[in-house]
Amino acid sequence: MIKESKDIIILPDRFRDPYTFESVLSMNSSLLESSGTVDMSRIAFIEPYSMISFLLMGRNFLRKRGEKLKLIHIPIHIHQYLNRMDFFSKGIFILTETLPEGMSLKRNPISNRLLEITEIPGKERQGVNVLASVISLFRKRSELILKFWMDESIVDYFVTVLSELCQNIFEHSLDSGFVTMQTYKSGKENIARLVISDSGVGIRGSFEGKKTLNYKTTSQLIELALTTPISSKREFGYGLCQVNSITEKLKGTIFIRSESSSLTVLYNKIEKGKNIFHRNDLPYFEGTQIAISLSA
Amino acid sequence: MIILVEKLARECKIKSQDLITRPIGRSLFEKAMEKIKMTDKGETVILDFENIKVIDSSFIDEFIVRLIEISSTEDFYIKLKDISLMAEINIDSVFHSYSNYKDKRIAAAREELGRNNKYYIGPLTQEESDIIDYLKINHHSSLSELLRFSGIEEIKIMPILQELYSLRVIKKINNEYYSV
Repeated sequence: MIKESKDIIILPDRFRDPYTFESVLSMNSSLLESSGTVDMSRIAFIEPYSMISFLLMGRNFLRKRGEKLKLIHIPIHIHQYLNRMDFFSKGIFILTETLPEGMSLKRNPISNRLLEITEIPGKERQGVNVLASVISLFRKRSELILKFWMDESIVDYFVTVLSELCQNIFEHSLDSGFVTMQTYKSGKENIARLVISDSGVGIRGSFEGKKTLNYKTTSQLIELALTTPISSKREFGYGLCQVNSITEKLKGTIFIRSESSSLTVLYNKIEKGKNIFHRNDLPYFEGTQIAISLSA
Repeated sequence: MIILVEKLARECKIKSQDLITRPIGRSLFEKAMEKIKMTDKGETVILDFENIKVIDSSFIDEFIVRLIEISSTEDFYIKLKDISLMAEINIDSVFHSYSNYKDKRIAAAREELGRNNKYYIGPLTQEESDIIDYLKINHHSSLSELLRFSGIEEIKIMPILQELYSLRVIKKINNEYYSV
């Protein structure tokens, strides 16, 4: 972390994937103690997981400090992108610069390889309505979002994944969360990434009452939830298991982070041996953040 | 009785081709029960999912599983029709989890052959599956015909038939067995 004079925090260019973003998450506690001004001038690229996680960092700052993070020196292309993704419309940040007139990215069908950031409410009734509109929008844009993976069943697979993961927010997290999806190019690779994150009670918190479950670390609990139909509220659950099985069918990857742990499952590289990676020594960050990715 | 699930959803003011979440499952269950109460005892209720693309595990749990659970006490049978591939995968997953965790199996008859090449969804054995297929093709059968077809001893086939009847995937009327 680099601190400029007057306590301005300069963010590194580490918004490229869930792994590099850990260095930004490691700044969270310093951010909470800072004056709340963040310099974004070094950021050259932002992918959906990093964007949503940074949004949660901003929301946590607002909740704990009662004031908004001030973002300064945002490169124009980053500003355009975040604006296009409705990042700023959540009322979490203060902007000192506005985009020059005519510089906003147009919302035309060609730029619709994405789902803008949508807040999934923590209450069931509102959550159900928002989820229905997210899925309806996804169906309209799915041919563009999933252009490189298109077959007759993939849209329905993703509707199931969206449904299961968004419901976890209002059923288990005790908080609202955010969903977004985008297809983007990274080098020669096309990546479709669906991100659903919250800063609620986390997976361990959600399963606190289930004393019969056998696990030592949070990443083991995440693996258990992915591979066994366990539920924190009912006798058994299906959601994460179904997401895991669909991701396996699609040869995608799953990244789940909760508090100080993460689990990565790579079904695209399964032939190379080990495909599940546990981490339990990460900087603490509230809630559960999930990225489901396909690459082509 | 045929219940068009798409129409049922519209009656609940749901226009989507995807039926997801518990509240929507609960609404459709209540609406379906209003109709099922008007059926005769022992009638088959066909749930026709034409034009429905995705039903998720929460919806399945609140709608299909609850209808099957209540079908014994209310004396009706459930049969699924026009199930999409995704719906079939999700129903199968829910039925397997249910059967593993409740120590009590659950299954449903279906109108057409599924991707499992069977006329049902759920964790049934090969012997049970063969009996369902036989009844589906022949519509109904006596015990002696089933004994001849399956080659299973009477003492062993009776509990199998009783279990299939308890699961509501076959009917039993006057010592004859029927497909649902």
